[in-house]
Amino acid sequence: MSQRSRIPTNRTVSRRTLLRGAAGLAGAGTAASLYPMPLLAQERRLAIGSYGGYFENSFMEHVYPAFTEATGIAVDSVTQPNSADWLVTLQQAQAAGSVPADLSLFARDTMIRASRIGGLLAPLDMSAIPAADNLDPYFVFSDGGDTLGVGAMSWFVSMVVNPDAVEVPQSWAEFWDTERFEASLGLSRLYNSMFLDIVAATFFDGAETMGSREGIVAVVEKAGEIKPNVALWYSAESQMEQAMKNLDVIGGQYYHDVAQLMAADGFPIRSIFPKEGNVQDYGSWCLSPLSEKGAEAAEFIDFSSQPETQALMSRMIGTAPLVPREATDLTQEEFDAVSGSPAIRPAYEAYLDEDTFIKETWDKMLAGA
Amino acid sequence: MSDESLPAPRAGAPGPGARIGGGTLLQVGLAVLLAFLCLAPFALIVAISFGEKVQGAAWIWSVDPGNYARVFVGALWPEEFSGLYLQRLWYSVLYATLGAVLAVATAFPFTWFLTRTGRRAQTIWLVFLLSSVSVSEVFVVMGWDILLSNRSGLPMVARETGLTDWLKAVGWFDTLRGWGLANPRDLKFKTSATATVLTMTYLVWPYAVILLYPPLSRLDPALTEAARTMGARPATVIRTVVLPVLRLPLLGAVMFLFVYLLGVYVTVSVFAAPSQQTLAVSIYDAVRGATLDAPFGAAQSVVLLAVAALCLWFGQRLGGRGA
Repeated sequence: MSQRSRIPTNRTVSRRTLLRGAAGLAGAGTAASLYPMPLLAQERRLAIGSYGGYFENSFMEHVYPAFTEATGIAVDSVTQPNSADWLVTLQQAQAAGSVPADLSLFARDTMIRASRIGGLLAPLDMSAIPAADNLDPYFVFSDGGDTLGVGAMSWFVSMVVNPDAVEVPQSWAEFWDTERFEASLGLSRLYNSMFLDIVAATFFDGAETMGSREGIVAVVEKAGEIKPNVALWYSAESQMEQAMKNLDVIGGQYYHDVAQLMAADGFPIRSIFPKEGNVQDYGSWCLSPLSEKGAEAAEFIDFSSQPETQALMSRMIGTAPLVPREATDLTQEEFDAVSGSPAIRPAYEAYLDEDTFIKETWDKMLAGA
Repeated sequence: MSDESLPAPRAGAPGPGARIGGGTLLQVGLAVLLAFLCLAPFALIVAISFGEKVQGAAWIWSVDPGNYARVFVGALWPEEFSGLYLQRLWYSVLYATLGAVLAVATAFPFTWFLTRTGRRAQTIWLVFLLSSVSVSEVFVVMGWDILLSNRSGLPMVARETGLTDWLKAVGWFDTLRGWGLANPRDLKFKTSATATVLTMTYLVWPYAVILLYPPLSRLDPALTEAARTMGARPATVIRTVVLPVLRLPLLGAVMFLFVYLLGVYVTVSVFAAPSQQTLAVSIYDAVRGATLDAPFGAAQSVVLLAVAALCLWFGQRLGGRGA
């Protein structure tokens, strides 16, 4: 759904590694996971996919070792470029009879898409994943009675501004004010970057409005009114990062966690939760039907759903936990660094049911055609 | 190649019949390889282009011509017409034409003077240009992105030299804002068609020099000398002697660069506003984007290919008529 799940250079390689100066590490990680080590029969192992770069490195450094220590199951990390591309890869691999990972990380829209394509996701043995009860049911995805995905972590697409250049807005609606933001904002060019959900939440009835074609057209038209204020319609996350750093834009939509990292590095950026809130998206662990590691996968998902692991990911990777803060040992300050409220939930079903319609209506609005 | 031109040791080689047999086999082998490498992927694209998109999922094999119709009239036809993809096609052709013509037009004088320098200087320049070709599009775009950025690029230069303040004082700044070349604070060169064409021109400029170098260096000096002795000014010599003689190589260079630029993706996705983006971006969005709409991407590719072929055919005729 999000950029994060779509473009390889996005979340992972370019920005994260630039921020942390770990480009070399990322490259090494990618190469290593392309050629997994031969598996030893007597050892319990599990191949897990995650978005390459800083994200995957953090998993390899902090999460997988803790899992191996707790269960004795070794993890082979597999690099995913993102969700949508990875789905294409898995589809082809499955046709060839062998999949590169037992567990994959999918954003919710890709997961639903995979379940609709059919035969790409195996049902999970929920009796072996009791810790999933810790999660809000929203983060456990079922289709036809089978549970196909359990939430791994979540992230926010939030409002960012350069606090040196502009007064901090209280509402997304202020971005439409040309007096203040003429040719100054950076927004995503992609129809499913969830800017439509922001518009729907700010000016309409949220996801409900996105439920009809008339609603979608109205939301897109409202989004079109912001065009004079947009200097950059980015297609890769790294473009927005550079534009904020280079002062080409003074605000827009961007990832909350990355904005926090950039701010910590001294760049003029602040991530804000305006009164309408920010969009919350999340990734899920999904099992391949060709995997013979269903039991190990269930153990990993159970481990991942525990409040301690959720807190570990928040501290080490910057993702928002899928359990209430009170269930974890995160301090309010630590929690605020990765999360906030209110949370806008994307109209996933609308994006899927009407994907050609929304995409073309959005593209036409951008193109003025 | 005639037998006389064969080197003497060929006498000991197998007879002509055997040679033809081997040659035919080689030719058949090459034809099969060519068919596999070129035609098979293309056939696959054509086959996919008739596939059918499943909303909310991926696509299935089919014989649906709807994807082609969508390129010309949009997905909602007949309820609603959309020229979205024709607009993209137009920008594909426009950028590629402008980039190719600008590159050849600016590379021509450079190459002209290059062929008139010493051997050593020529070698150094050519090696430099050849190596610059190895710089990927991503790096070129990154470089121009910085050169045009507010903090460290041209807008910064304008700000620091007082040009921005001067423009504001005389009122021209608002005109630039009207043209989308400034925000309320500074000049702004991204995103714009200018930045896109500029980067495209830069991208193919070394190729233009490399393509023009052989014909220019082979140009018979007697031609220009004769014209000069007869009293023509240098500009007249270029216009009436050099350019007509080099008409075909120049046209060939433009056409080659045009085809190359049709597929440029990174430059357009970074520097062009969404209202001025090309079919290449749209194809990528369809195939690798979230909709997993490979059939529509394939249909757009086939249309782009057909238009490129049409442009080349037209260019060929243009050159042929002149010759």
